[in-house]
Formats: sequence, structure tokens, C-alpha cells
Amino acid sequence: MGALSKIIGLAIAAAGAFLLWWGLTPEMEGLSLILFFLGIILMSIGSSILFSGKSRSEKEEEPEPPTVTELQCQNPNCDFKEIRDFEKGDYILKEMEQRCPKCEGTMMIEGIYIVRKEEEKPEF
Amino acid sequence: MQFGAEPNEFSWIINLAFFAFIMIFSLYGQKIQMWQWLKQIEMGLIELKKMAVESRQTAIDTFKAYGRDVEFIAKEIDRWSDFFTIMPVDLDPSGVLERIDHLFEQRSDRFKEFVAELAPEATDSEKLSLENTLEVAQVLGLIFRIVRHFYILGKKTGSTIIVMQVQMQMPELLRLAKAYHGAIDAFAQGKPIGDTIGPLIVTKFAREYGATPDSYVQEVTREVGYYKIDVDRRTVYVVRATGPGGTVGKPGFAIKKLVDEHKEKVTRIITIDAALKLEGERMGRVAEGTGAAIGDIGPEKHAIEQTATEQGIGIEAIVIKENEEVAVGVMDKRVLDAVPEVIERIKSAIQNRTKEGDYVILAGIGNTIGVGL
Ligand SMILES: [Zn+2]
Repeated sequence: MGALSKIIGLAIAAAGAFLLWWGLTPEMEGLSLILFFLGIILMSIGSSILFSGKSRSEKEEEPEPPTVTELQCQNPNCDFKEIRDFEKGDYILKEMEQRCPKCEGTMMIEGIYIVRKEEEKPEF
Repeated sequence: MQFGAEPNEFSWIINLAFFAFIMIFSLYGQKIQMWQWLKQIEMGLIELKKMAVESRQTAIDTFKAYGRDVEFIAKEIDRWSDFFTIMPVDLDPSGVLERIDHLFEQRSDRFKEFVAELAPEATDSEKLSLENTLEVAQVLGLIFRIVRHFYILGKKTGSTIIVMQVQMQMPELLRLAKAYHGAIDAFAQGKPIGDTIGPLIVTKFAREYGATPDSYVQEVTREVGYYKIDVDRRTVYVVRATGPGGTVGKPGFAIKKLVDEHKEKVTRIITIDAALKLEGERMGRVAEGTGAAIGDIGPEKHAIEQTATEQGIGIEAIVIKENEEVAVGVMDKRVLDAVPEVIERIKSAIQNRTKEGDYVILAGIGNTIGVGL
């Protein structure tokens, strides 16, 4: 849909520009004004089709990234970490019943978060 | 081609069109503009309504797991959506903060009573989160109804100023509504939100110094307690609201109470809170300053400032910057990544600005949803 409407818009705008130019040629005399306005109207229709993308709010509506739960082994000599989907009942600093598969240490929820898309870097 | 240079058989069309154009826009320009504004408000209203309806549905779906049937819940939530709080008179400002506090205490009692009635089988912690869910649904409903009011009023009276104001505020209102709409899912499921960063940081700090869920002293003031820890021979009271249910509690009054208990021994109050970032600032940026970082309507902040001033206690704040969407939505990784830096800053604040034997109050301000003790 997007690409097609862009092409149609471009074609209409180009046709308008052509009419405009044609109306400006000296041979057209009486018709020149008509062609002139027709050209301008076509160009504005074409460009409005060309630049009418989706509104910004529609674009922003991407589904939210999933919430993840980060588990970490509490053994200071072990750096085992597990990241899985959030489950109801999870909370940060909750001690889990499951044991660390590496060292049998206790596991705790270190964080629950989502990774949002980075905002555009400011120009300044 | 030159206009009017050599009149020809078509030039009258152009003239006519030209004058018609001028007439239409000078006579009806305003009407066209109004029509455009009303259309824009309409689009916004459709979106606001969608969010209000969805959040109401989420609230119903969440409540129905706790022992009441859907019809009863829907009816009660609709009845509750009109609940209001009348702000006290400030023409006579003396004691206005106590009155505000009193009113909000009453409000909170009514909320609790209502949630207990709607969700008899929920645990205390779940009830707190349900309260938050309800509040978000209520706010979204309210935004929709207010905007609709001005839209209809503007249309009815044809008042440009009413329509213009709403149209101009629409983007901001939509942004706010979207932030809350995103939050309801977090509250309903008990996920930590961006605002929980304050309590989370102080809890992690306290854990480093040996605090455990069992060493948490419950209920200094309603829903707020503390860990008492020892940091480089200073006694630190780490204040936060209980969790992992969603509550903000009244940490301000808890701080005041602790200061009243220990008087001149307390030499420093450090508050940790989330703050709104400026556009263009990095998410999760840490900043520090002087003053009480607490975003209540006034009574608690006043209590902290008053007690600090009376006792000559140093008062400082460390904030973590985030935007509204993150503050009320699910916790963001970039905000969470700020935890170690803040902990370092707390340590240096305690080391550099307090002496051995001093008492320090460290308060994590914010909602505690999804943050265990
Ligand atoms: Zn391990």
C-alpha cells in the first residue's frame, strides 16, 4: 500500500508539473491559464498523496517488548545468570526455589524489566 | 504567461475563482479552522475512549480472580469511577497541609474498603496492587470524560477558545493517557515500574550491609518500615514502603517519626527517587542535589523539610531520570542499570558527609510494586 500510493502520488505530481510547464509555453495562449491552474491542482493532489504517510501515533503503536525476569546465582564464586519471560508472582529480590544448575546455589531475581527501543539520539 | 495582460475568453473563470476563494476564506476561515480542530479532537477522543474502555476491562479481568462475579465487579467499578476528592480551602492557608493529609487518608481508607469488598480473596499485598490498577482505570476514565465534556461544550457553543484549548492540549493528554494505559498491565500483573527504582536501590543497598526481609521493621507509619544497618560505623535507617505489593506509603512521615525518635543524633537525610527527565537527556541518568526528593502533594515534603530545618539536619537527594512512560510503565533496563552508580553515590555521601557514630536516614521514595523486601 505504502509504495504504491507513493508511486501514484509521484505520477500525478509529475503530470501536474508537465501541464504547468505546457501551459507556460507561448503557443498555448488562451488555454495557458487553464493548464496553469490544472497543473497546480494536480501537483498539490499528487504531493499530498505522496507525503500522506500514516499519522505519527499510528506508527508508534508497536507491541510492547516482552517483560523479562533476570535470575542470578547468589554464590559469590559463581556468575550463573538466567533470563526468562516474566511469570506472574515474580518480584525483584525474590528468592527462588529452583537451584543454580552450576553450583546448586540459591537463585534470586535480580531484575524484572523490558528493553525498550532506544530513543533517537538528540542532535545536540 | 501574464495575468491580465491580454484578457481572453477564459480569464473570467480565473477572476471568479479568485474572488470566490477570497470570500470563502475571509468569511468562513474560522469555521473551517474550527471544523479542523474538532476533527482532531475527535480523533484523540476515539483513542482516549479506547484506552479508557480497555483499562476498565483489564481492571474487571484482574478483579474477577478474587472471588466476585464479573457483573458485580463491573457495576461497582463504574460506580467507583466517579469517586472524587475535594481539595481543602487554601484561602486560609494555616494548617492546609494537615487538612490535605487528612482528606487523602480518608480517600485511601475508602479505596481500601472498596478493594476489600471487590476482592475478598486477595492477600494484603495483592490488594495494594489492585488498588493501583483501579486508580489507573479511574484516571483514564476521567481524562476521557473531561475531554469529551469540552469537546461537546465547544461544539455546542461554537466557542473558539474552548475548542482551541482542548486541541492544543491534546498531544500532551494523549501522551499522559498512553503512559497510564501502559501502566495498567504492569499493575495488574505486579510487575515493577520505573517509579520503583527508589525503593529498589535502597533495598539493594541495605542487603549489601546484611539486611534481610526478616530484619525489616514493619509499619513505622502506615505501609512504611525500615531496615537498620551499620555502614562504616554509622547507623543507617533505610526507609521504604512495604512490598512487593504496590504502595507508596508515607515515607515522609516515617522520616519525621525517626528524626523525632533520635533527634540530634540524626545528621543526614538522603532521599532516592525517580525524577522526570528532560527531553534529550539520557534515560537512567543519575543526578544529585539538595532537598527532599518526594513527589507528594505537599504534606510529606513539608514534614521532611520542617523536621530537617528544626534539627539542622543535612538533606540531600539522588534522582534517577526517566520519562512518564517509563515511570508508570514496566521497569526499563536502562533505569535498572543505574542501580550500581546510585549505590556508589550513596556510599560516598555517607562517607564524605557524615561522621562515625552518626545516624543517617536513607529513604527510597516511590511505588514498591514488584520489589520484595
Ligand atoms: Zn551458581
